[in-house]
Amino acid sequence: MKTLVTCTVNGEERTVLADSRDTLLELLRERLRLTGTKEGCSNGNCGTCTVLMDGVPVNACLVLALEAPGCAITTIEGLSDGAALHPIQQALVDHGGTQCGFCTPGIVLSAKALLDANPRPTDADIRHAIAGNLCRCTGYGKIVEAIAAVVAAARER
Amino acid sequence: MAPHQAELKVVGTRAPRVDARERVTGEAIYPADLDLPGMVHAKLLRSPHAHARIRGIDTSRAAALKGVLAVVTAADFPELPVGATIPMGELGYDMWMVAQVNLARHKVHWVGQPVAGVAAVDAHVAEAALALIEVDYEPLEPVLDIAAAMRPDAPLLHDHVFTKGMEPRPRVPSNVCSRVVITRGDASRALSEAAATAQASVKVDTAHQGYLEPQVTVAQVDANGFATVWASTQGQFTTELMIARMLGLPQSKLKVVPLEIGGGFGGKIAIHGEAVAVRLAQKCRRPVKLLLTREEVLQGGSGPAAGALIDITVGADREGRLVAIDGTYRMDAGGLPGLSPSLLMQASAALYQCPNLNLVGFDIVTNKPRTEAYRGPGGIQAAFAMEQAMDALCQRLDMDPLEFRKRNASVTGSTMPIGTPFPSIGLTTILDSVGEHPCWTDPLPKGRHPRGRGLALGYWRGTSMTSAAHITIAGDGRPMVTMGAVDLSGTRTTMAQVVAEELGLPLDDIHIQTGDSKSVGYSDGAAGSRVARTTTAALVEACADALGQLRKRAAEKLQRRPEDLDYAAGRFHARDAGGPAITLPELMQATLTDGAVVGRGVSTKLPLGVEIGAHVCDVEVDTDTGLVTVLRYTAFQDVGLALNPAAVEGQIEGSVVQGLGWALMEGFDYAPDGRLRNASLLDYRMPTALDVPKIDCVIVETPVPGVPYGVRGVGEVPIVPPAAAVANATARATGVRVWQMPMTPERVLRALRSGSLSS
Repeated sequence: MKTLVTCTVNGEERTVLADSRDTLLELLRERLRLTGTKEGCSNGNCGTCTVLMDGVPVNACLVLALEAPGCAITTIEGLSDGAALHPIQQALVDHGGTQCGFCTPGIVLSAKALLDANPRPTDADIRHAIAGNLCRCTGYGKIVEAIAAVVAAARER
Repeated sequence: MAPHQAELKVVGTRAPRVDARERVTGEAIYPADLDLPGMVHAKLLRSPHAHARIRGIDTSRAAALKGVLAVVTAADFPELPVGATIPMGELGYDMWMVAQVNLARHKVHWVGQPVAGVAAVDAHVAEAALALIEVDYEPLEPVLDIAAAMRPDAPLLHDHVFTKGMEPRPRVPSNVCSRVVITRGDASRALSEAAATAQASVKVDTAHQGYLEPQVTVAQVDANGFATVWASTQGQFTTELMIARMLGLPQSKLKVVPLEIGGGFGGKIAIHGEAVAVRLAQKCRRPVKLLLTREEVLQGGSGPAAGALIDITVGADREGRLVAIDGTYRMDAGGLPGLSPSLLMQASAALYQCPNLNLVGFDIVTNKPRTEAYRGPGGIQAAFAMEQAMDALCQRLDMDPLEFRKRNASVTGSTMPIGTPFPSIGLTTILDSVGEHPCWTDPLPKGRHPRGRGLALGYWRGTSMTSAAHITIAGDGRPMVTMGAVDLSGTRTTMAQVVAEELGLPLDDIHIQTGDSKSVGYSDGAAGSRVARTTTAALVEACADALGQLRKRAAEKLQRRPEDLDYAAGRFHARDAGGPAITLPELMQATLTDGAVVGRGVSTKLPLGVEIGAHVCDVEVDTDTGLVTVLRYTAFQDVGLALNPAAVEGQIEGSVVQGLGWALMEGFDYAPDGRLRNASLLDYRMPTALDVPKIDCVIVETPVPGVPYGVRGVGEVPIVPPAAAVANATARATGVRVWQMPMTPERVLRALRSGSLSS
């Protein structure tokens, strides 16, 4: 069965025809072709598909497309305007916080949700905030370092 | 040859990834992101049995389902004989086995082995069609562990497998695929006369590489029969050879395009359904996407790393000098013959000068998923036994474990287990830096629970094989680099640094890409810690070739002999005082109509860049729950020369954390029928940011002679010591050794309760 779904994605109102079985992840990747959100397990265990739903990080694979109407969704495509990177993105570049890159979009969004809610997190807070995002390449050290650097830079301003 | 280290301008800097931007913005394209016009979706039907004969497969009902476009089984492929191989570095790759991994024929050997493939208009229809395929299985008794498989009366997996390495050649087939013996002197006599001995008998569970991106293939076949495959692979050329051989397809009719790869770690060297996707695309004449689910990846769809049973006995004299190592290594290859245990056996003993060795290794098949390489394959399993035996020996001798290593350390020129002299190694330098570092000299802070500090060494040989690259000089003088190496995590950056250094150009001027299997020279896969070293060598040659061509053109323009020109920083100038000069952009503009400038380079049989590390770790052991918490971790490693220290640290940190995962939480849990009970990332727990501390890296640089920039392999050896380092720290905290990996809280608690120090 197909249903029309209207929601706000990266600040723009979008209406798409979704299969009732579609997850939010499928809505984003397959219907809207926003492929920056990656699929790692389809089970809510790896955090790779993390997006923000009304500012809250969710596993897009665990949300049905039919739950999206009326919600504001932020995906990795909504973070930079194409020219300047978001400070979290820039910090990951500068600190070597991305290797294969597959987990990176999800990590960026988990970190954004953290900093939006708590601009002065400790390293422990940062580790807690990204604990739902598996990364198999970096061992997390440089990711934590990058997010901490964003916090430190904001504090200096 | 490379300039002296002190004069380096770009190599050795912490340059950010040249391809970081597309990663942090989500613009990087992985095969799952492709959506071709008319694309259909494939699914694989997998065996529910661990061991069964296939009496027949009826696909007619599935083929008749509305929306199904093609169904294939092994019968749609030419039957490859046992022993058919394709070239792959020093060893061939057995195509009969590759075929079994893609689609079983005659028999299934593990739960999850594919038996049929379906292409349909969408994944839901493909899934529904799988349920309509009728496979007539004759279930056979499965063999699920090493001990059971080695029994003389064990059910046989393969009636064509006779134990290799036996004299005379056995007359009856066996589940023991190969036996390797490495001996020197008389180990049993030396052990009987030793002042002290110690033993480690360990059991290691099968674990998975855990790459976050499941395998994905998109295959398209055009009207002329030309197939293009977009794959998540560590090697586009190996993938091409495997697909071509499986399908009997001329290689001129096939191109493999490696897109971004979401982690591989050894698990994406071979193919896992790519050939099935191509066959489906041929049959239905539509582009086909085959995307494995996480459950498929874990439940038999892609090879995990070998489990093991290893016994090590070591002995020393009164001065703490090692007199003998005796080891038996039994590796669980899963459903098809695995890697020779030779390398892991050598690796475990390589860092010690020891007059008497007796190492015996077995490669054994069981009815579990066919295993594949995982970062220094076999290294962590063997070190878990060897480095614990050494630590236990230190305890018997009441000797400091670092002092013991210093006393017995291999040095440049000392004899390796295979009998040849060690190439240049910096083990003593590493051990000296451990001794001076706060991670070793700081007193261990007190905690609520017992704490301990452990030391373990790691060695990995790595490999070299073949890498090719070429550099095209653009009309404005800027180089465009195409390399055969797939970039797992930073190769484009470090290789762009090498080209910038060699050509004296800014890093930003260089564009670098990985070529597909038709646009660059044959290169082996990105594996075995070989890519940075060998691609560096290929690029040094390619730069020299390009500069030679440019020099000829410059000489003509400047009216000098080529040998009378100097080149620096993008400019040729005549050596005579006040002589003319020409920049690369000027030169290329002036000679645009003279044809392309393409510098080519290839590296084969480069000297090995052996990897050596020493790891120090502090743990706290919760005696109520058995939870081992790693408090502090420091990895010392000789990298030859760090092309990019940030990239080197990234490799070490990630590799260590993978090792800590296997050490403490990752292990496959098989039911008695051979089904994996923890086939999800919730039940198969990999480390999160909360499970591990920051990993400190100490980089030591002992260049390898005869290798451009003296580069060593980096990525594999850091996974070797972590489990032993944690085990040794745990033993020193509690007086108890767990002997089983992963050392889960349950196992630690059981060991604490039984209080046993013995194995």
